[in-house]
Amino acid sequence: RGPGPSDGATGRYKPPATETNPALEDPTPDYMNLLGMVFSMCGLMLKLKWCAWIAVYCSFISFANSRSSEDTKQMMSSFMLSISAVVMSYLQNPQPMSPPW
Amino acid sequence: MKNLYIFIALLFIPWSFALAKYDEFEDGDDIMEYDDNDFAEFEDVSEDMVTESPQRIITTEDDEEEATVELEGQDENQEDFDDADAQEGDTESEPYDDEEFEGYEEKPDASHSKNKDPITIVNVPAHLQNSWESYYMEILMVTGLLAYIMNYIIGKNKNNRLAHAWFNTHRELLESNFALVGDDGTNKEATSTGKLNQENEHIYNLWCSGRVCCEGMLIQLKFLKRQDLLNVLARMMRPASDQVQIKVTMNDEDMDTYVFAVGTRKALVRLQKEMQDLSEFCSDKPKSGAKYGLPDSLAILSEMGEVTEGMMDAKMIHFLTHYADKIESVQFSDQFSGPKLMQEEGQLTKLPETKKTLLFTFNVPGSGNTSPKDMESLLPLMSMVIYCIDKAKKFRLNREGKQKADKNRARVEENFLKLTHVQRQEAAQSRREEKKRAEKERIMNEEDPEKQRRLEEAALRREQKKLEKKQMKMKQIKVKAM
Repeated sequence: RGPGPSDGATGRYKPPATETNPALEDPTPDYMNLLGMVFSMCGLMLKLKWCAWIAVYCSFISFANSRSSEDTKQMMSSFMLSISAVVMSYLQNPQPMSPPW
Repeated sequence: MKNLYIFIALLFIPWSFALAKYDEFEDGDDIMEYDDNDFAEFEDVSEDMVTESPQRIITTEDDEEEATVELEGQDENQEDFDDADAQEGDTESEPYDDEEFEGYEEKPDASHSKNKDPITIVNVPAHLQNSWESYYMEILMVTGLLAYIMNYIIGKNKNNRLAHAWFNTHRELLESNFALVGDDGTNKEATSTGKLNQENEHIYNLWCSGRVCCEGMLIQLKFLKRQDLLNVLARMMRPASDQVQIKVTMNDEDMDTYVFAVGTRKALVRLQKEMQDLSEFCSDKPKSGAKYGLPDSLAILSEMGEVTEGMMDAKMIHFLTHYADKIESVQFSDQFSGPKLMQEEGQLTKLPETKKTLLFTFNVPGSGNTSPKDMESLLPLMSMVIYCIDKAKKFRLNREGKQKADKNRARVEENFLKLTHVQRQEAAQSRREEKKRAEKERIMNEEDPEKQRRLEEAALRREQKKLEKKQMKMKQIKVKAM
């Protein structure tokens, strides 16, 4: 085995290539973020409760899959939007959600 | 409140109602008598009477006064009757006219509705029912969210524990081989942090450096997404395992020029399609390693036979055979540039940068249900990595091999240049046109007419020279051809 530590030149940490190429990384958090926003807009505009609930789920999934380097502001805004969609749907129409069957 | 209500009712009851009642009384004389034993009738009547007695007493006093003053005044007397009737509505079932109840519909309605109208039970809307049961869908949703959050916390912690278990197991070996263990790139000086770098809830990085022959080693612990409930459910259908990816970047002088890979057949087929270097240099399909004593699960991709011969020494074979179940792929390449990039036409004019790299992908045993103890079984694999680093440094191709390798690389480069020839030409052409345009603009913008003229002449002369050169070239080519 080689002489070991002291002889080698020390290089610095370079982030792996995938970080510089986010398209190669898992696109799940971005998709879920977008989907969450779309659903919450649908829920708000069309007053559909189930849309708003799905939006909440989407923003949770996006948060769980997010990279630590990603902006928390984006996550928070999508989360707040979905919560507001749920709240507004219930304020406008306090009836409980009816199942589709 | 009740007293007030009675009083108001007494004030507003239409006296026509009293008229009708009055008709029942055949004699006017009876009125007098009625005054005397005003409330004799009321003694047996409903309990409500008892509460009304104080009010009644007052009214009767009034009535008596009025009765004595005006015998025939029906207005006053009606108060009596109203009172009586109001209280006796329940007990007396007398026929009545609808007209009499124009301004006073509530009480008679209450008493007579049973007789007249069928009871319609109104459907109270669900949200006014005040029962939680009607909101079962919402409760379901919230329960789902809570389950997701619980799973997130549990999954995150499990991944964390696994990562630290791995690191604790491997720390000693790494520290004895590398000067710098753990670096997140933020400090100005290269100091060992001795910690994993958490990129995600399921990806942990570790950078080791400071060893002879290699620039550095990046270890990525790619765990399963235990923190995402969707992923957990998907994995129930399709089991997957945690992976440890190790990428060793070699110094230029410490590795010869060859491309070689060994791993599971499935992984190699995929890599051959995806990886730039494997697809270009290893054109054959993955071959079985049975010749060298490798188990059937493993296959070999190599640039040339000599490399395989050189790589498959006894120790290597020992490693590969013993830990075959944990090995996904091992790739040695001097032309490593990552996966094939999706290039747009006309964009790529240069070959991607290559680096001499050793890549290892290991599967953590347990197929998803790993425990921190399983991390110990990966330690021998790290020893294998260290061994491979040294081996790559020692292994040199002989003259023939080197020639072949150089030829291969030249071939690849040529192919690439051919492909991009058109694009490069176009790029050069556009650059020339840009220059011309810039010059013309300069001439146009020149205000001094003299200067303008001079510049134009200079441009004309240049053009003429170029044309002459081209003609000369053409002539030369013609002469040569002849």
